[in-house]
Amino acid sequence: MSAATPAVPTVPNLRAERWRLRIRSARDFGRRFSRRADGVVGLVILLVFAVLAIAPQLFVGPLETVTRASGAPLQAPSSAHLFGTDELGRDLLNLTIHGARISMAIGFLATIITIVVGAIIGIVAGFLGGQIDNVLMRFTDFFLVLPTFVLAIILAPVILDVIGADAELLGIRATLLVIVTVIGVTSWAATARIIRSQVLSIRERMFVDRARVIGGGPGHIMRRHILPNVVNLIVANTVLTFAGAVFTETTLSFIGLGDPFQPSWGQILNAAQGSGAPGLGAWWYIAPPAACVVLVILAFTLVGNALDDILNPKSAPRR
Amino acid sequence: MGGRYLARRGAQALLTIFAIVVLNFVLFRMMPGSPERVLLRNPYLTQAKIEQVRKQWGLDKPLIPDQLVAYTTSTLSGDLGYSLKFRGTPVTDVIGQRFWPTILLIGFAEAIAIVVGLAVGAYAGWHRGGVGDRIGSGISLVLYSMPYFVIGMPLIIIFASSFGWFPTSGMLTVGATYPGLVDRLIDFGRHLALPLATVSLGLIGGYSILMRSSIIETRSEDYVTTARAKGLTDRRILRSHAFPNALLPMVTIIAINLGYVVAGAITAEVVFNWPGLGTLTVDALSARDYPILEGVFLLLSITVVLANLAADLVYGLLDPRVRA
Repeated sequence: MSAATPAVPTVPNLRAERWRLRIRSARDFGRRFSRRADGVVGLVILLVFAVLAIAPQLFVGPLETVTRASGAPLQAPSSAHLFGTDELGRDLLNLTIHGARISMAIGFLATIITIVVGAIIGIVAGFLGGQIDNVLMRFTDFFLVLPTFVLAIILAPVILDVIGADAELLGIRATLLVIVTVIGVTSWAATARIIRSQVLSIRERMFVDRARVIGGGPGHIMRRHILPNVVNLIVANTVLTFAGAVFTETTLSFIGLGDPFQPSWGQILNAAQGSGAPGLGAWWYIAPPAACVVLVILAFTLVGNALDDILNPKSAPRR
Repeated sequence: MGGRYLARRGAQALLTIFAIVVLNFVLFRMMPGSPERVLLRNPYLTQAKIEQVRKQWGLDKPLIPDQLVAYTTSTLSGDLGYSLKFRGTPVTDVIGQRFWPTILLIGFAEAIAIVVGLAVGAYAGWHRGGVGDRIGSGISLVLYSMPYFVIGMPLIIIFASSFGWFPTSGMLTVGATYPGLVDRLIDFGRHLALPLATVSLGLIGGYSILMRSSIIETRSEDYVTTARAKGLTDRRILRSHAFPNALLPMVTIIAINLGYVVAGAITAEVVFNWPGLGTLTVDALSARDYPILEGVFLLLSITVVLANLAADLVYGLLDPRVRA
């Protein structure tokens, strides 16, 4: 009798089983990522900058201002000022390390806005399809073809003049918040396109039909069934978007939309340009922030490409 | 090429341009300041006078459709308003003076970058994993990570401030008189060299990376295997089979990229004080000269839309499959 009972595969502890699977896939992912030398190098660079951004005062003390400047104007590097000083006598090592916090924070916030807007529009358009998809994608294409950087240049001062430059939120000044918003508003379109195309293939899969059969509404299916399946893509895209956000922030600050009271790397380069440092041959004014910008963008690009190759089902291996 | 394909793409481009004009209108309305606000500073102002001014400027009419229609018709007839900074000068005149320096800079830079970038990318992709690929791809990736002004500033320090080979700023030497056209051209060329190098280098990185992956994709195509089976030399396969096909996607990419080139050129112009649309934009930005900013945005976005349309049409000519 007992022999005739079909062996039901029992999972004694569903939760433990689920965790075991998660740990296994994480370990698998770690192994594949660690084989990518470029990705690992990028990750190490990013970790260094993350530490600098989290606690700049631990390394160089508080941010130097005009009144707290510690040296003479435009001094070449010396033992007292390893990176030299700017035209106000501020130590450039101090400015550059504090700049890490501001550049990375703006990049981070702008990336979150970009990804959230892009993911929502991509998932909704791809899953619902039909007329909604049509309208959303026309809208997306419009933003794709628009020279968004030029749009950002106009939007930023308009918003700034409307809300006033001295407003503050969570210790971040309005100028920087405007930059964050403007980058977010103008760069979500590419993300939306990528995610939509992935959603189009996921929604045809069997488990989506099953969810619908047992009565799942569109909102529930998008949240619980579609979203988890595009998370990989979102992660890879987030890292690449971060590189773009730092790039755009640096450029916007350079042309004068930054905040002199919270200097990012782009803002330091703007001050260098304004004080005529390139023509004076003051290379030490330009080299540290410029090198940091390039290193961070390069690192994000390396990590992002590695993640994209591992996590994005559609991207052919690049190497 | 099918007439229907042409008509559809043309209609799409027109619709996009119309959307840009509407966006510009919305931005104009969002801006702080209006004629009545300026008048309100006068304490002796009567309500009747305010009404009269509002009527004179058409502000008493509803936003949509009356004001929008008025704005669209004057924009289409080439009236972009007047600059705030250069008092009384029409926006179109101010932009007109700055248009050609930018076109020259971007045009030459695109030409150099397309030739060099595609060549480097094709070589790297064809010899994937080799020494040339590693060096070429490494340099391309670093260039790709550099905002244009980060490329330009070191160039000034090295080649203008230290060696003194090139001037640091401007398009022509200020106050110089030229005996002949040739001297004028030489002076222009010396001023153009560094900005041109900056924008070209910035572009080469991106183009060569994309061309490399495009070539790598064609390497596994059947027609390349066939060519190899026919006994063609490696060079011949690259030149007559892989390269032309890898070029196809680059047409679209170069057109889409134009928007970013414009952004990069703006910062390069600032670094070298090149008297083009970029320096105009940044000056207008610090003076909050909104009519100029809007005019530049309108001009650049319409140019980019048209470039994309042109790229699509060229692509359609080159690759018959997309017309279906």
